[in-house]
Amino acid sequence: MITIAIAKGRMQDDALALLARAGVRLSEDARNSRRLAIADESGDYRFIFVKPADVPVYVEHGIADCGVVGRDVLLESQADLLLPLDLGIARCRIVVAGPDAEIMTRSLGMLRVATKYSQIANTHFGARGIPVEIIQLSGSVELAPALGLADLIVDLVETGRTLRENGLTVVEEIGESTGRLVVNRASYQLKSEPITQLVQALETVLNGDARA
Amino acid sequence: MRYYIGAEARLRRTIEDTAMSVFESWSYEEVITPSVDYYDLFEQGMGHKEAQRGFRFTDNDGRLLALRPDVTSSVARMAATLLAERPRPLRFCYAAPVFRQQPQSHAEWRRENTQLGCELIGVNGKSADLEVLRLANEILSRLDLQTTYCITINNVEIFNGVAAHLELTTPARERLRRLIDTRETAELQRFLDSCSNSEGRAFSQPTQLTGSSEVIRAARNVITNSRSIAALDSLEELWTEIESLGLADRFEIDLSDVSSLDYYTGLSLRVFVDGAGTSVGRGGRYDGLTGNFGRAEPAVGFVLNLDALTEVLVRRNANV
Repeated sequence: MITIAIAKGRMQDDALALLARAGVRLSEDARNSRRLAIADESGDYRFIFVKPADVPVYVEHGIADCGVVGRDVLLESQADLLLPLDLGIARCRIVVAGPDAEIMTRSLGMLRVATKYSQIANTHFGARGIPVEIIQLSGSVELAPALGLADLIVDLVETGRTLRENGLTVVEEIGESTGRLVVNRASYQLKSEPITQLVQALETVLNGDARA
Repeated sequence: MRYYIGAEARLRRTIEDTAMSVFESWSYEEVITPSVDYYDLFEQGMGHKEAQRGFRFTDNDGRLLALRPDVTSSVARMAATLLAERPRPLRFCYAAPVFRQQPQSHAEWRRENTQLGCELIGVNGKSADLEVLRLANEILSRLDLQTTYCITINNVEIFNGVAAHLELTTPARERLRRLIDTRETAELQRFLDSCSNSEGRAFSQPTQLTGSSEVIRAARNVITNSRSIAALDSLEELWTEIESLGLADRFEIDLSDVSSLDYYTGLSLRVFVDGAGTSVGRGGRYDGLTGNFGRAEPAVGFVLNLDALTEVLVRRNANV
């Protein structure tokens, strides 16, 4: 049996839809159930639903053989995993945002950056030699500049609406994030056959979409 | 920081004894090296990047010391200096704790790990490589794991040959290595598409595979540079021997094992056991190592992680 960890929330429905098209289906009952670990119709796969940040943890320890999670979470976790497929789901951008575009050139001494992604923010500003103080938050990051907690934020943006409504604009784009299939290193060797099959089935679906 | 108490300590001791008795039956002599040595030794032995993960401190005269982050460095220096006159080959084994900070992977990292390891120094070629592979397999098969295990083998010269052929810059070579290591298929293909020669563009395909001789056949179809072909030849010879010993179901060829290119010079191997999320052992050929201590000669060896193996067996026993 192959255990697949799925990030709850934003990505969950897209991930399940994609897996269903690749032949790994959950029954209607199972999808509506509130259990956190359920088997698929064939019984060859087991799904576990966990918070996005926990997906790399489960997979790195080999409790789950594979997982579906955003690249943003992977960059933040620095987990040692295989990343065979970009699933192209839940596409969004990782950006630096602030009240106006000039803020970075105005305050050269030390910028305060509020974010859920302290690793990504540190790497981004560190690589360019910009001194920053990272303020770690766990949600509603857009509030921080308005209330004076920080000068800038580093966050995910899908449409940009939340940013606009809180008086922020994108200052810089750090990168793009999409849902990725991740695989545990040991599982890839020890369960190579079913895992290769899953990867190939997903690849076929994705290639079909790309051509259409 | 882990305690082993009573039954767990006995189990751990049994695993250690099993490994050491297998080593002994193959005429490997036990060696006990200092726990604390000059940092310089480990930097020469492991390279700057790996040795840096060791715990470092100074003595009263300001000299930099380290808690040993590996045993191989000490054995290599011993072979090159203390035992320079002894007839070859040298066969050594050890069971000793090593100390590291900074995880490579969150799942496998402990500050202290006990390595069960061996070094075969002074012989080159297929028979020496095969000897350590058989040793690793014999230890694992005698451990009563009752689960599947798998030893993956590769030859790092396959990658090195392709990278040299593509004339990559150091950062580009590191990017290629990283993409192969994490099996990022699409990004790898995009990276290789930018290469001007056809061997490069086709190289992504065989690195995706893991399996038996079909992997070598797939690689032969796309690889044309002589350095990689020589490495493929020796890997294939090794595989034929493994097959003829009836051990093919215990081994897999994995061309994507490119995690320690600076250290290994030929064969590289990794050990995976069902129930452990990361590899529980690794090794390979490091012909460049003893030269750092003034006497260049071929060497091959591996280590198994005693604590990771104990963890697998403890958890298995708890489940029955």
